[in-house]
Amino acid sequence: MDISVTLINGLNLAAIYGLMAIGISLLWSSVGMINMAHGATFAASGYAAWLVADATKALVLAAFGKGLLTTSLMAGITLTAGAGFGALFGALIYLLAFLPIHDKPNFPVRSLIVTLAINLATVQGLLWYFGPKQKNLPKIFGTGKLEFLGLSARYDQIGAILATAVILGLTLFWLKTSRKGLEIRAMMQNPEGAVLSGISVRWTALPVTMLTGALAGLAAILLSQTIFVSPTSGTMPLIKGLTIALLGGLGSVPGAVAGAIIIGFLEAIVGAIPFLGQRYVLFATFLFIIIVLIIRPRGLGGLLDEARK
Amino acid sequence: MARSGADVLKITGLTAGYGPLRVLHEIDFKVAEGERVGLVGLNGHGKTTLFRAISSLVGWQSGSILLNGAEVGGARSSGPGRRTPAIVRAGLAMTPQGDAIFPGLTVAQHLDCGAYTPKAWKDRKARRDMVFDIFPPLRKLEHALVGRLSGGERRMVSVGRALMVEARLYLIDEPSLGLAPKISASVIEALFALPQDGRALVIAEQNVALLSGRVDRMVGMHAGRIRGDVGHVSLH
Repeated sequence: MDISVTLINGLNLAAIYGLMAIGISLLWSSVGMINMAHGATFAASGYAAWLVADATKALVLAAFGKGLLTTSLMAGITLTAGAGFGALFGALIYLLAFLPIHDKPNFPVRSLIVTLAINLATVQGLLWYFGPKQKNLPKIFGTGKLEFLGLSARYDQIGAILATAVILGLTLFWLKTSRKGLEIRAMMQNPEGAVLSGISVRWTALPVTMLTGALAGLAAILLSQTIFVSPTSGTMPLIKGLTIALLGGLGSVPGAVAGAIIIGFLEAIVGAIPFLGQRYVLFATFLFIIIVLIIRPRGLGGLLDEARK
Repeated sequence: MARSGADVLKITGLTAGYGPLRVLHEIDFKVAEGERVGLVGLNGHGKTTLFRAISSLVGWQSGSILLNGAEVGGARSSGPGRRTPAIVRAGLAMTPQGDAIFPGLTVAQHLDCGAYTPKAWKDRKARRDMVFDIFPPLRKLEHALVGRLSGGERRMVSVGRALMVEARLYLIDEPSLGLAPKISASVIEALFALPQDGRALVIAEQNVALLSGRVDRMVGMHAGRIRGDVGHVSLH
């Protein structure tokens, strides 16, 4: 078992899962809906980025030739297309699964059903239109390996880890400092207090769904550097994101980050142990999450948050 | 004290409740500009439900509620809280029972939440200072998390949040609830020390002694109905 490979793999998985889990966690705590269409956002953003990259590739190549400029320009285009389409898809989820039913009884269950339907319809739609064949996104971080202090990591892994750290940092900074962020946090902590402060749920939910959609889109681009885009590629990230959000205590951002790191390393370690291997990864993950939730039904969140209700 | 001016709040035929339960029965209630009204009555007789019906937070309601002459009531059987932000922006400031606190925000951020108009948001720092003048203990807690404050300090934050904009009507639900007598007296003291300048104040309270002699009018509530003006109740 190579420690450095395990370490990098663990961080890489943690990065992708973290992006998904935080999206699910934020949406649940501020808007009160479990977004089962998060996987559909993931897959659809991957395809959108592929379409845009495919359409612009020849143009960019013709204009700038082969080189660093082309690679970085394509990286920018792919990331923007993925995040942008993710945000658009988030707005679609807002229009279909939030706006018409958010003040009806049993909204959490209803929205769960509607988003599940969106998820199934999107996956089937992608399968029908694009077929089951996998698509390749441009390598936005280039190809190659970096040797550093005896660690060896591929560019795409380092890129995914660093990009996630930057994206999450920016997201948390925005939540902490902006006025909209303040409104969102108020909504997360006490919906009734928020409406009495003149904060409208309807106008706060839209930026949250778009933000979480963009996070899923970025996760899709980053994971597609390692594997491919396919209609069902969103299923695993959705399941991992949901379970990690639960492990972290739904609604706790630090909990989701901690959960993603723990699960990422757990998977990398179980996958690297010779007599266990990849077959037991899912088994070990769920076993761990179940044990944690038996001991602490509210997840890890309460341990990390400074103040509770 | 002035009872001139238009009615800030005019309720006619308000009936409200939760699910199969009818709590308020055909209530008529008026508050004039600049007036201070004490709403007294025992636990469970509808004081809180009346406040929550005015801010559209009960399960269902019917009847007219005019706030500054604009209709904010009407019949509604679903979506509690959906219209609340609009009603708040029409000039209502309410501190609910139990304070509706944001535990993870600092005192300063919590107060900023109350500054929802563009103008109030722009000079929120000056307004925070004003709230700190009214509730001096909060000044040195500016950057403390609200979830870590004592009950009295939370009450001050909750009332202070409602003071961050110039509302026309202030509904303060049980300001003394769960507080030590000394602290509840100081909260009430601060409420009555507020400049009046046209704002109407309704305080729901069980402890009549805290209000007597300070409000313009006391209104009793019993079994979901207004029991007329009680007038000045003197316990001294």
